[in-house]
Amino acid sequence: MDKKSVFQQRRKPLPSAGSLKWVLTVRKAVVYIFLSIGAFVSLVPFVWMIATSLKSLGEALTSRFFPTELHFENYVIAWERALFSRYFTNSVVITLITLAGSLLFSIFAAYAFARIEFPGRDAIFALLLSTMMIPAMVTIIPNFLTVTWLGRIGPIPWINNWPALTIPFMGSVFNVFMLRQFFAQVPDELYDATRIDGGGHLRFLLQIVLPLSKAPIMVITVLSFIGSWNALAWPILVTSTPEWRPISVGLMNFVSEAGQEFHLTMAGAFITIIPIVLIYFFTQKQFTESIARSGLKG
Amino acid sequence: MGVTERIQAVFTPRRIRHLREYFTGYLYIAPAVILIFIFGIFPVGFALYVSLHRWRIKRSDFIALENYTRAIGGLTYVLMFFIALLALVGAYLIVRKVLRMAEEHGDRPLLLLLPGLLHASVIGALLRYLWFQLPEFLAIGDKLVGREKTRELFNQLLGESFRAVRPEFNLFFYLLIASAIVGSGFFLYRRSPRNSTYQNQFMMFWLALAAGIGLAYFTYSEVLTAYAVAVETGEDPGIWPQLISITGGLFLFGVAWKLWGGAANEASNRRFWLRILAALGLLVGGWLLMGEIPQIVASGDQDLWKGLKVTVFFSLGTVPFQLAISMFLAILLYEKLKGSEFFRMAYFLPYVTPFIASAAVFKQMFSNREAAPINSLLKGLGMLPQDWLFEPRGIFEIIARSLEIDWPDWAAGPSLALVVIIIHSVWTYVGYNTVIYLAGLVNISKELNEAAEIDGANQWDIFRNITFPLLSPTTYFLSLIGIIGTFKAFATIWVFRESLALGTVDTFSVAIFTEFYEKLRYGYASAMAFVLFAIILSLTYINNRVQGSKVFYG
Repeated sequence: MDKKSVFQQRRKPLPSAGSLKWVLTVRKAVVYIFLSIGAFVSLVPFVWMIATSLKSLGEALTSRFFPTELHFENYVIAWERALFSRYFTNSVVITLITLAGSLLFSIFAAYAFARIEFPGRDAIFALLLSTMMIPAMVTIIPNFLTVTWLGRIGPIPWINNWPALTIPFMGSVFNVFMLRQFFAQVPDELYDATRIDGGGHLRFLLQIVLPLSKAPIMVITVLSFIGSWNALAWPILVTSTPEWRPISVGLMNFVSEAGQEFHLTMAGAFITIIPIVLIYFFTQKQFTESIARSGLKG
Repeated sequence: MGVTERIQAVFTPRRIRHLREYFTGYLYIAPAVILIFIFGIFPVGFALYVSLHRWRIKRSDFIALENYTRAIGGLTYVLMFFIALLALVGAYLIVRKVLRMAEEHGDRPLLLLLPGLLHASVIGALLRYLWFQLPEFLAIGDKLVGREKTRELFNQLLGESFRAVRPEFNLFFYLLIASAIVGSGFFLYRRSPRNSTYQNQFMMFWLALAAGIGLAYFTYSEVLTAYAVAVETGEDPGIWPQLISITGGLFLFGVAWKLWGGAANEASNRRFWLRILAALGLLVGGWLLMGEIPQIVASGDQDLWKGLKVTVFFSLGTVPFQLAISMFLAILLYEKLKGSEFFRMAYFLPYVTPFIASAAVFKQMFSNREAAPINSLLKGLGMLPQDWLFEPRGIFEIIARSLEIDWPDWAAGPSLALVVIIIHSVWTYVGYNTVIYLAGLVNISKELNEAAEIDGANQWDIFRNITFPLLSPTTYFLSLIGIIGTFKAFATIWVFRESLALGTVDTFSVAIFTEFYEKLRYGYASAMAFVLFAIILSLTYINNRVQGSKVFYG
């Protein structure tokens, strides 16, 4: 069918320029209305959280949405009462240790899976990927037993200490998978050039591949922070004292302790959110893009 | 030829380079793979071990399937027989594959069944050895409690634990040597390039065969024990009738599925309707035979079935809504109006926010106080305030009550407390789904839409005939992720949980965690976790079969 016959088949006459403009404006307005409703629903809980966190207790109990006077001291009270400074440091330290180990191990593993040929490579990789299907509830009980055991036989205890919170997460299938996808795209010519210069895999990895991989490494970093801010079941199990308790458990306990004083719990919730949201805003573009591209959630 | 020359003949520079390459590869993956093995793969076997024991903090007696029968009643035996059957079918399929391959190449591989059997028995002996060694290792930890930890003491205990199971280890060790000798003997004797493939395939065949027969025999003896116990208590466990009727029901379902699927290809109308009718009849028959299942449910753990029901409500309440909303928003965002960056960020923000913080906010917004935001909103609309997270009654029941309609108990729907959690979950994941949908939309060429517009199609036609079908791979992916995610969901529900909701929000994962963390029944919790695993696996399979066939990869 050529172009002419398509035009002949058209059922509606083309609208004139003036009415077309009008139709487009109305359509734009409708789209904006729906988008704004969506944004309103998404953002209202945040606005309410910040508004309530600045109220006095008496005002928080009324149905007023915005505070009449701003009580910034709520943040100080929440910060001190909930031991947030300790939980904050704990969470950051835990995330950084996990991230350091996990990046070190996953970068080498991902490189080998992407660029070195050895017998059984694809079988091992498939085995690793299949572990992503296993629900955490299956592994949480034996891992708890393993970690307790390791603490008993080893020089330092694992429960209520950093090893239980970090070492099990250093071997991350997700990170290996993500980096492998990226490393596989690095052109072979670059490797050949390194070989001619007399370098091997290690030099190629450290001098060429890694400097190219800032984007995936940043995404892994952000996802690790979000993941550790969200982790609950495992930290509940392995921290019975505040000493190494991460912020997720800290906030949950504070919410149940401070109960009805929810101007304070809202202040606590806001304190918890700030670092993650800041990280998100700074890395927003790469972050959303790589989420969309990998199609996998953290 | 001297010795050095021989060595040089074997290790040519090229081979050495290859070996170095292999070695580098293994070295690079070793740390990650070892860690993933210890904390990701080994735990599955360990959990299986735990689930077969009475285990409250410490290991106690081996009780075989008792944890499973307590959880899902007689269904355990049925499922075990099915797994055994699957293993046997797998064994058959492997043999068929090998024979076909051999025919293609003109090989005669049957003699290689022998090394295959040896390899398989090595793996069997290794598993047997580990089964006995694991508790000995675990005991080291207990023995060290309260004593000064020194290297000598640890070495001594380690040596003891090895010596305790030496016969098992020796069995494994000698079998390993025998299989290495026989395997390489065959390899040298018949230098076929496919030799090792055949050996491996036959090893898998023997393993599957042994697993199938072993499981079937084990389950059979367990059923006999159950009957023997039943004679003493005077109850009829009714396992055989259950097995027969459920197998029959599944068989009828399978045949009906085949008939239904083939019906579309029938040329004549009459045969098409005959097929459909036959399929419907079989479905009804299968359904009647499945009537045994409620009885089994009654004999299992009520908490577990309640958890499953809550999880299904949670899934059905969350996934369709979040998919519909996010597809709509993605299509609007795709218009690329000014400020769409801002909207995308606003939608994505809830997903980035730590769940526990946003759950704390929702908890206050949906508080049962009259002055709480949602309740004052209801009041403004002239409705009664609700108890929200403290409300165990079903949502349909509440709506019907307020309209003064009599409502049956079974149709009460998810509790209002669960509805709040569903709202929170939709609110959280819409942004993520929107971003993925946007990525899917980018792949649809604009020309299609323009061509349709020229043909006079309106927006709805374009959506129904172009956008929706072309987005089906994305929808498929997101629904799979969403359903599995709701079955795994734990953290938010744990925060939202109020005792006044009477456990109407406790999903399967939460039920497992309370069993483990609060009631300290490790063995039983592990058995429940495996039931969850089986459900997730079968959901993935069904989703693949049903939806995968309708997905349009255009």
